[in-house]
Amino acid sequence: MKFRKIIVIFALFVGLFIVLYPGQAQNSSGRVSDVQLLARAINGEARGEPYEGQVAVGAVILNRVKDSRFPNSIAGVIYQPGAFTAVSDGQINVPIDPNSTVVKAAQDALNGWDPTYGCLYYWNPATATSKWIWSRQIVTKIGKHNFGK
Amino acid sequence: MDYDEKEYILENRRERRVSEHERDESPGYHARNKAKNVVIAILALTTLFGAYQYHRAVLLRRQLDAQYNRAFYEMTGYVQDMEVLLSKAMLTSSPQKAADILKDIWHRAELVSTNLGQLPVQQGALVNTQKFISQVGDYAKTLNGQNVKGQVMNQDQMDTIKSLHQYAVSLNDNLDKFHGELSAGTMKWENLAGGGAKLFSKSDVEVPMSISNIDGTFEEMPTLIYDGPFSEHMTNQKALGLSGENVSEDQAIENLGKLFGKENIRNIQKVSDNKNGVIDTYNFSFELEGKKEKSVAEADVSVVGGRVVWFLYNRDVGDVELDIDKAKEIGKQFLEKSGFKNMRDTYYTEQQGVATINYAYEQDGVTVYADLVKVKVALDNGEIVGFESKGYLMSHRERDIPTPVLSEAEALRKVARKENIVSTGLAIIPTDYGSELFCYEFKGKLDDQDFLVYINAITGEEEDILLIINSEEGILTM
Repeated sequence: MKFRKIIVIFALFVGLFIVLYPGQAQNSSGRVSDVQLLARAINGEARGEPYEGQVAVGAVILNRVKDSRFPNSIAGVIYQPGAFTAVSDGQINVPIDPNSTVVKAAQDALNGWDPTYGCLYYWNPATATSKWIWSRQIVTKIGKHNFGK
Repeated sequence: MDYDEKEYILENRRERRVSEHERDESPGYHARNKAKNVVIAILALTTLFGAYQYHRAVLLRRQLDAQYNRAFYEMTGYVQDMEVLLSKAMLTSSPQKAADILKDIWHRAELVSTNLGQLPVQQGALVNTQKFISQVGDYAKTLNGQNVKGQVMNQDQMDTIKSLHQYAVSLNDNLDKFHGELSAGTMKWENLAGGGAKLFSKSDVEVPMSISNIDGTFEEMPTLIYDGPFSEHMTNQKALGLSGENVSEDQAIENLGKLFGKENIRNIQKVSDNKNGVIDTYNFSFELEGKKEKSVAEADVSVVGGRVVWFLYNRDVGDVELDIDKAKEIGKQFLEKSGFKNMRDTYYTEQQGVATINYAYEQDGVTVYADLVKVKVALDNGEIVGFESKGYLMSHRERDIPTPVLSEAEALRKVARKENIVSTGLAIIPTDYGSELFCYEFKGKLDDQDFLVYINAITGEEEDILLIINSEEGILTM
């Protein structure tokens, strides 16, 4: 009876430890090309979004590359510290199926589709609290995200 | 009553022994003891584990800080270089030397930019600094191109360089102050936010004064306009190909119906109005009846003129039945139905059973590449699954095409590999700063490499060289 209590307490400690320990997504091997990197970023940021929303996230990344205010490469934009939550929570490292929707979305974005007409920022209005991001001018809303410049 | 002390003591001892004995014999005493020891052991292990993790975290923090410090020091070093070089650019009289200096400024700017992009600052905290660096580098590159041809900088350009130099001086001062705080230990990288678990943070971390001072250096910087992709004029483009009246939502839906067949569109809903972008549009989501099972499609129709700007229909694609030539034909027919006349196909890619074909406008035999439309054709049944015309709508107009100053033969003489040329044509190509160049287009093959050379039909200058990459995903078609 007492022993069971001990086990429960121990299990709680372990549980607490797992919760506080930063999770790690699976790593994959092999060279990651532009399409792959873009697709992983889209996967991490807009997985449940409508297709248009996924292409839009890809387009925002490419718009940043072309803009003077951001790094000049896809990797530079994606890995800029603090820019994308998919990087800080490890989602960017989740391997994706080459036939998945996010890869098609990345290809469309690279081929020039831009449902955001040049936006550089996006945020989820339900969860974003940053005053700064809310000061961006909204151009369009797709799925869960506002897109702005 | 008399109490025998000795008896009292013996009595106590006996009682203690009895109670100890009782205690020992009470159920669970050993188990409790054991349990206590187990808990102590677990707590000890957890503490050790915690100490180990903490130590590890300290080491990782140190490594991370070292990286940020490296990026910061490299960045400030290059900004100092830029200040000196901008100064020298104002002092030299020889265009060749100026070209050298400007090339160095451009090079340093790229290095500053790369390192700046590695610092853990909040979104938006250093955007103006990044913009300044990008524009200075870009401007220096443009001036370098000019000086390399022997053309000296004019007074306006000299004044701009002087102004940019002043800004570089201010930037250095502010970076120095930030550096002071770093060295003194009053500023730590982890205070700048931008990373790490924010379990309890509810709002912005305030941007430190020294960071906002750095970015504030450029608050009053005048706009820079020149022939480069980061020039200010590139952010204010207008859609030249859009004309006509504003259309209502219903008219927009009707126009979609004309393209895809009204009877094929089901459950059409307007998702949003897009304003503040380069083209104001209505965004629609709808279901398409086709030969395949229903799936959601999305499209944007412009408010001005009711043109379909883009269309995307993501569905599973079956086995490939059509070849690329048939796909090109289907694409061309779709374009004619949509009101795009005189388009010729130029480049295509084939990915996962869908062909994405690029079409350029042709005027009097001249291929106008800036007026670009893309069509996605599904290769299982020839259905149109994608369409993109923003490029065309931004730049299309009837152009005043001059007669070439050089003849084809004269232009050919300017090509390095003239013996390898396979075909010739005329084209209008876009520059990366929003203007257009009228050129002869020579297609050739050297060893196994296909290439394109563009010779300016007015000045005879070699404007661009393109390599044609033949991959399993696509080929240039001309």
